[in-house]
Amino acid sequence: MADLAPLTALGAAAPRSLEAGAFTLTERPDIALASLALRRGQIAPILDGLTLPAPGAFASGNGLGALWSGQGQWLIAGEGLAETDFAARVRAMAAGASVTDQTDGWTAIALTGDAARLDAVLERLVNLPPDALAPGRATRTVLHHMSVILVRHDRERLTIWGMRSAAGSLWHTLETVVRRLS
Amino acid sequence: MTRLGGGLVDRSQTLGFTFNGQSFTGHPGDTLASALLGNGVQLMGRSFKYHRPRGVVSAGSEEPNALVTLRSGARAEPNTRATVTELFDGLSATSQNHAGPLGFDLLAVNDLLSPFFAAGFYYKTFMWPRAFWEKLYEPAIRKAAGLGALSGLPDPDSYDRGYLHCDLLVIGGGAAGLAAALTAGRAGAQVVLADEDFRLGGRLLAETHRLDDAPATDWIAAVEAELRSLSNVRILARTTVFGTYDHGIFGAVERVSDHLRDAGGRVRQTLWRITARRSVLAAGATERHIPFANNDRPGIMLGGAIRAYANRWAVSPVARLDDPVAIFTNNDDGHRTALDLLAREVPVAAVIDTRADARAIGRYPLFAGARVTGSRGRTGLTAIDVRAAGTSHTIRCGALGVSGGWNPNVHLASHHRGRPVWRDDLQAFVPAPGGPVGMFPAGACSGRGSTQGALTSGAEAARDALAQIGIPAALPDLPRAEDTPVRQAAFWHVPGKGRAWLDFQNDVTVKDVALAHRENMRPVEHLKRWTTLGMATDQGKTANVSALAVMAELTGKTIPETGTTIFRPPYTGVALSVLGGGDTGRDFRPTRLTPTHRWAEDLGAVFTDAGQWKRAQYFPKPGETHWRQTVDREAKAVRAGVGLCDVTTLGKIDVQGTDAGEFLNRIYANGMATLKIGRVRYGVMLREDGQLYDDGTCARMAHDHFVVTTTTANAGLVYRNMEFARQCLWPGLDVQLISTTDAWAQIAVAGPNARDLLARVVDGFDLSNAAFPFMACSDLTVCGGVRARLFRISFSGELAYEIAVPARYGDALMRRLMATGADLGVTPYGTEALSVLRIEKGHVAGAELNGQTTAAMVGLGMMVSTAKDSIGAIMSRREGLAREKRRLVGLQPVDTQDTVTAGAHLFEGGADMTLATDQGWITSACYSPHVGSSIGLGFLENGDTRTGEVIVAANPLDGQTVRLRVTPSHFVDPQGERLRG
Repeated sequence: MADLAPLTALGAAAPRSLEAGAFTLTERPDIALASLALRRGQIAPILDGLTLPAPGAFASGNGLGALWSGQGQWLIAGEGLAETDFAARVRAMAAGASVTDQTDGWTAIALTGDAARLDAVLERLVNLPPDALAPGRATRTVLHHMSVILVRHDRERLTIWGMRSAAGSLWHTLETVVRRLS
Repeated sequence: MTRLGGGLVDRSQTLGFTFNGQSFTGHPGDTLASALLGNGVQLMGRSFKYHRPRGVVSAGSEEPNALVTLRSGARAEPNTRATVTELFDGLSATSQNHAGPLGFDLLAVNDLLSPFFAAGFYYKTFMWPRAFWEKLYEPAIRKAAGLGALSGLPDPDSYDRGYLHCDLLVIGGGAAGLAAALTAGRAGAQVVLADEDFRLGGRLLAETHRLDDAPATDWIAAVEAELRSLSNVRILARTTVFGTYDHGIFGAVERVSDHLRDAGGRVRQTLWRITARRSVLAAGATERHIPFANNDRPGIMLGGAIRAYANRWAVSPVARLDDPVAIFTNNDDGHRTALDLLAREVPVAAVIDTRADARAIGRYPLFAGARVTGSRGRTGLTAIDVRAAGTSHTIRCGALGVSGGWNPNVHLASHHRGRPVWRDDLQAFVPAPGGPVGMFPAGACSGRGSTQGALTSGAEAARDALAQIGIPAALPDLPRAEDTPVRQAAFWHVPGKGRAWLDFQNDVTVKDVALAHRENMRPVEHLKRWTTLGMATDQGKTANVSALAVMAELTGKTIPETGTTIFRPPYTGVALSVLGGGDTGRDFRPTRLTPTHRWAEDLGAVFTDAGQWKRAQYFPKPGETHWRQTVDREAKAVRAGVGLCDVTTLGKIDVQGTDAGEFLNRIYANGMATLKIGRVRYGVMLREDGQLYDDGTCARMAHDHFVVTTTTANAGLVYRNMEFARQCLWPGLDVQLISTTDAWAQIAVAGPNARDLLARVVDGFDLSNAAFPFMACSDLTVCGGVRARLFRISFSGELAYEIAVPARYGDALMRRLMATGADLGVTPYGTEALSVLRIEKGHVAGAELNGQTTAAMVGLGMMVSTAKDSIGAIMSRREGLAREKRRLVGLQPVDTQDTVTAGAHLFEGGADMTLATDQGWITSACYSPHVGSSIGLGFLENGDTRTGEVIVAANPLDGQTVRLRVTPSHFVDPQGERLRG
């Protein structure tokens, strides 16, 4: 059993969370992440019944989530699996593909709130048309000079994936905007 | 008080405000200008150059004169136009650009000296002595001439930014804009309607025209209510669209809380970036004045502004309510102003019409074929001089409305290199067809300024714009409205002896334009820069076209032959704070923290910026009073015991695929395909032009899996270039790439005790030299099962490793290594000691790989393989680069007390120090605790053959020359025994 204590991307033992009006912001260090890239000529595998989504889309099932991140490339997320060798599990499910552990490459921040207000928050954060932020969409974009991936699970729920090293700046930006609009 | 009956102000409430410390009252719905006029205040400021008394000229954002400073202290906002400042209770404003009280400005002496201050005066007069300009002339001139002053304090307000996407952006909420928004809103299009005013309606609010025999405000209210009920329409009031940019993108500033006494936690302003598939420009028109002698006296204003003040704000712009108002016009608009004033029981002294065939349309004295030739009054108008039918008259009046016709507001249509076109029938510039893509001008800004014309053209523009993007729209039933054809005649100024102002804000007169003509400053661009016409906050909205006409008259050419007016963003002044989007200080840009940042903070580390990263620069201990003490201690500890340094910031790229080896062979100048599994190789990358651009290590984890490291600075660039090569240059190769820079915390463990220290954390991994030699790599686990990667590589020249764990464990691993290595002399070191160690070892870094050096220069020429091709390899062998003879050398001062200074240039002793004799430069320098003196690295001509030679380093900026001895670039362990030990 590992005898090192992990820190979250925001630098604490426990994940940070915040409630501001109807909004909640929650750091999610428990989500494991791995990239999956097809080898030349490889057919996209189905992961435990989960069909890998088309460009711009997010799919989930059996405790796994998948978002398209490039041609022949996806990010696979596993809630509650960050302390496991998630990349090895994905590698096993996608035989022959190139799989790389990305769990600590990114930080996930969950944002919930009522639908209309969430739209108003997104207007302040990213330069994307509403279609790109509809439920089921996953879009890589720029947020206050940071590269992020936005996953809109449903009208009231969003996950923002950002660079782990910039987690503090990302949180600051999100907190500033939700507090102003709460 | 000069308030009239009626108007669109809410008299049930009274708002208190101050101007220059004096208390006044107004009402909700007032602007600062209307409230001041309602209190009989005509004098609002002093002019830029001559300090002439000035009052309000317009009723909108084109205002050149009535500029005030709002608020005080850090919130003071200079150059605020009183005409667009929404009145709120407690507002305080002060006038600008005067010494002593506004009514008796000591600097008004400038006006008496005006013959000296004509255009070009400064350029010609303050030419010599040259040195006086910056220290004496310019500060004195700036003090005397100018607008408001900045507080110089940090801005305490907060700002916001946002992004909107729509099918149709409607710019302007007057008759045309409302009709356009209604048309598009009913069609179901996503619509953004932006208007700079705090109330929708535009010019309709200022006129008495009825729509379907009802007040225009009824129609406005009905349309606004309908638009607000539509979820697909967003109304942005108090929002100025200030610029048209590429691909249908517009910049807009929403004044969120400027009109509130207490912002209540709201941001002050929001910067909106609006991406619109199509746009309707319904920006209206700006009235022209007619320059005549002394036409800048407070009380002389645009005729349309007088109508606006009378109709919308129920104010007669005179000092005393019974003062009569006169009108000077070259078109029918002036007569409408007279009628509106009479309807509100304001006495009209006379209408002076330049047209000989003019006819009165109401009960007021008319001077047809006449002109105003002068004005009287000290700080406010008391009378005008009129010349009619060969006779001079003096007419007593408290205000004069001047109507010279209307200039369509073409600004936003010309931001995208859309040059406005002259229409002779309108005597005005209108937006050219083929202006910004997808923009449809409508209403007065397109030359259709009658109410009916505006309504109809607005609706049609929206329908036509939406048709282009496949959204069918029906024209709404529009109300019946006046449809007087726009008729404008050319009458640009009243010729005469006195000074007749064209540009009020910059104090540019008709004479100045004549002087520019005489000085051959005739193209409009020269005219502008010579006279300063059209500069400053109003950008010549009320001046440019008239000045062009005056120049045309002087050159004998037509107006379009003389030039066009062209505008750049912003349409009106935009605060830099809001352009910044609200991020200042620490939050100005994103910050990246290493996984051990908290640990370094706990130790009191001093941090340095490395791009977006914060890296520990050094770790001072109690008692250390100078950074050098700390750095020397850290560097020595690494050479004597073991040091720890977070090197996470180096870029890491995961390369997989059956062709990964071949791919890296093409990326690196040296071969990588032959690298054995479990081994690391140092590699260099060339640019396409053959110059070095990055170096790092490449580790082979499996047959089809490599881990590439890059320098911190080039992490993004190398990854981008590799992605480009993968996708575009060699799409046939089976390669997959992904960055893992953030995923792994990487710690350098360097020093003779490195192996002993690591042995205490690895889980049964054989670290012996035989099992894990120099340049080995492996997956392993540490601390009871934490996944890790170990690389035996050395930047310091010592026995060294880099150990990587998932980033979340970086902090804990660092603390563990520190705790468990106390007896081994474990010492944290920062980037400063890192640099000392690598200079001592002669390893190159960013200062040597500066984009202008070759592999041969740094002594790595043999690494550029000729056995295979790689990016830049062939270009590296071209004559110009192959002839390059400068080589990396070590440098040590002959007098060990001397300092080696990076950036100094190298010369032979006794030689002239010129470009021709320059033999190279010093790239890196430090104090070496190992050597016991200052040392450096540098590029020297034929340096590889000059060991032992004494040369001179010159630092002309500090007047320093130092004698240096050329040494090999390795100051420590030249045979490399330590790192292999």
